[in-house]
Amino acid sequence: MINNNVMLVEGNRLYLEQLSNIIRETETVTLVARFRDAKDALGQGMVFTPNIILLDADTPNIMNLLEEFHQAYPHADIICTGEKWSAESSSLYVNAGAKCFLVKPFSSEELLDAIFAFSKPATGGKDAKVMTFFSPKGKSGKTTLIANLAMAISRKTNASVGIIDADLQFGDMAFFFNLKPQSTIVEAARDTDFLSPVSLNSYFVPVAKNVSILCGTKEPSLIDKVSIHSLETIIDMARTMFQYVLIDVPAGFNPTSIAAAEMADTTYIVTMLNGGYEVQHIQRSLDIFSTWPDYRERVKIILTRVEPCTITAKQEMEEIIGYPVAGIIPNAYLDVATAADDGRMALDLKPNSPLSQRINYLAGKITKKKQDNDDDF
Amino acid sequence: MAEEQINGVIITFFSTASAVGKTLISINMASELAREGYSVCLADFDLQFGDIRNYLRLTPEYTITDLCDSIKADSGNSLMPMLTTYAYEGVSFQVIPNPTKLEEAYNLSPETIIDVLKNLRMQYDYIIVDTTSMFSVLNLALLDISTIVTFLGIVDFIPTIKNMKIGNETLHTLNYDSNKIRLVLNRSDSKTHIQLKDVVSILGEDFYHILHNDFISARESIATGIPLVLNGQESELTQELRALVARYTNKGYKTMEPQKKNSWLSKIFS
Ligand SMILES: Nc1ncnc2c1ncn2[C@@H]1O[C@H](COP(=O)(O)OP(=O)(O)O)[C@@H](O)[C@H]1O
Ligand SMILES: [Mg+2]
Repeated sequence: MINNNVMLVEGNRLYLEQLSNIIRETETVTLVARFRDAKDALGQGMVFTPNIILLDADTPNIMNLLEEFHQAYPHADIICTGEKWSAESSSLYVNAGAKCFLVKPFSSEELLDAIFAFSKPATGGKDAKVMTFFSPKGKSGKTTLIANLAMAISRKTNASVGIIDADLQFGDMAFFFNLKPQSTIVEAARDTDFLSPVSLNSYFVPVAKNVSILCGTKEPSLIDKVSIHSLETIIDMARTMFQYVLIDVPAGFNPTSIAAAEMADTTYIVTMLNGGYEVQHIQRSLDIFSTWPDYRERVKIILTRVEPCTITAKQEMEEIIGYPVAGIIPNAYLDVATAADDGRMALDLKPNSPLSQRINYLAGKITKKKQDNDDDF
Repeated sequence: MAEEQINGVIITFFSTASAVGKTLISINMASELAREGYSVCLADFDLQFGDIRNYLRLTPEYTITDLCDSIKADSGNSLMPMLTTYAYEGVSFQVIPNPTKLEEAYNLSPETIIDVLKNLRMQYDYIIVDTTSMFSVLNLALLDISTIVTFLGIVDFIPTIKNMKIGNETLHTLNYDSNKIRLVLNRSDSKTHIQLKDVVSILGEDFYHILHNDFISARESIATGIPLVLNGQESELTQELRALVARYTNKGYKTMEPQKKNSWLSKIFS
């Protein structure tokens, strides 16, 4: 077993004591050295052969220090610590060689998460793909779509996928995966000011290899507990935690759906065809999104319950809507309902069903490195 | 004059899932009440993506936005000329359409909308309100001001039933009189393998009324723009809709020809 020999570099006297105690109390971790002055740590720490360095990021000149530590300790993981996480500074640290960022004071669990959980393949950061699934009205089939798509993406690429259920009043994601989560988006939002991606990770519930979910609120009245600011912070952090982030939002235009759409690389308008006025609803939504200069690249349409689910049907709908359709999903109501009622995914039920095929196709499009406009269906 | 002042009944349709039939049923309730000779106003407070104008094929001149502007201007003018009339074979009622533009819908203030309702309830026997499926500020205010709230559910699949239960419990926390909230089940025998009795036991409450699934009639009614209770086809669903209205008005429903003479409307639009 590898020893976790920690060297603590902490300028604040009180934190130095507090963090030292936490490290000492943490099993499988040994505090081998501690310094208040970073220069001392650079000059003297070597003799203790630390393989993990907790470096106070609130020190002046942190960027230079990071580089110096990196050279002096090429085999150690450097974890930056600070009082508050921010997307910009933490990505600067990570780009300068830090492994991740931890908010002080941290708990033993968070420290262990930082040491272990993040030794998985380098996650997205700038490259992460954030997708928001918007629907004009409810009952669009998007929860089913998101859940299945997330699974398909992770199977195809082995990438890490995070789902955020921000459908704040009636999110069903936990139900689809048969989860009774301890922590949800409400707790994550409450704690955002004290969280970093490492610690936010523990609010996500793993549902499969590489797929985890931040579950939705348990009761409608909790909606007020998730501020737009904290939702934005959560999305920012998720970007550094996963390679793909899929966000479910409440129907229609509301502060939540708008914030999530603005932060996403791609917003999918998801609509179930019911023989009503769905096309008008899509067109009116597009009108709103068209205020983004680049909306044609950023906004895509997915239609669900399309019967027959053929390329002709897709082309017809493109004609009627007057906008490209990125994907169509067949009516698999009974498959989906049966699976959901048992807390299972429809995709696991019939891997070769038309539903799975269409979802796999979409997953392929999303994970493809270079985007093309081929109508390969 | 005091004798002309009525304080109309407000019936709101609410649900915690979409596409459960709020719009279809509110349209039919308005139509049936109008057919029975009541003065009726139907309000589409699914502000962003309201379907009443679609299902009734209306091309309104004014919308709730104009009504709100008028109320805010405090001119004292009647709002009634700004309503849109739906009429079919001698039966007619007034409609408050949702805004034409999404950004208008986004920016309307719930308080002003409630003021519009308070103003109009003095002019109508019944105001029927269609909503969205969430506990928004507007919907909570509408629930408060309503005489009756029809909480509509369907036996769909378990997540929907979970949301129905949560919705029903949330409604209970608002402490309304027990007979203000009426649990109505729509599309009761649609394709599903969940039993009605299971839903009742999950909810811990019986349904006040049950409407059957009649996909073909519903779709046709939407396609033609003619409400089920007016289209002359006395399907089972139509009967059940009439029965629901009869229970709300505390009387048996009439199957006679609509009353055409001397309605309140003829006085206004003569
Ligand atoms: N009793 C019913 N039987 C069959 N279809 C119905 C019934 N009630 C509603 N529908 C259909 O369900 C769909 C959604 O109805 P709608 O009134 O628009 O729901 P909501 O307003 O709650 O979103 C429509 O296509 C409508 O035709
Ligand atoms: Mg509706």
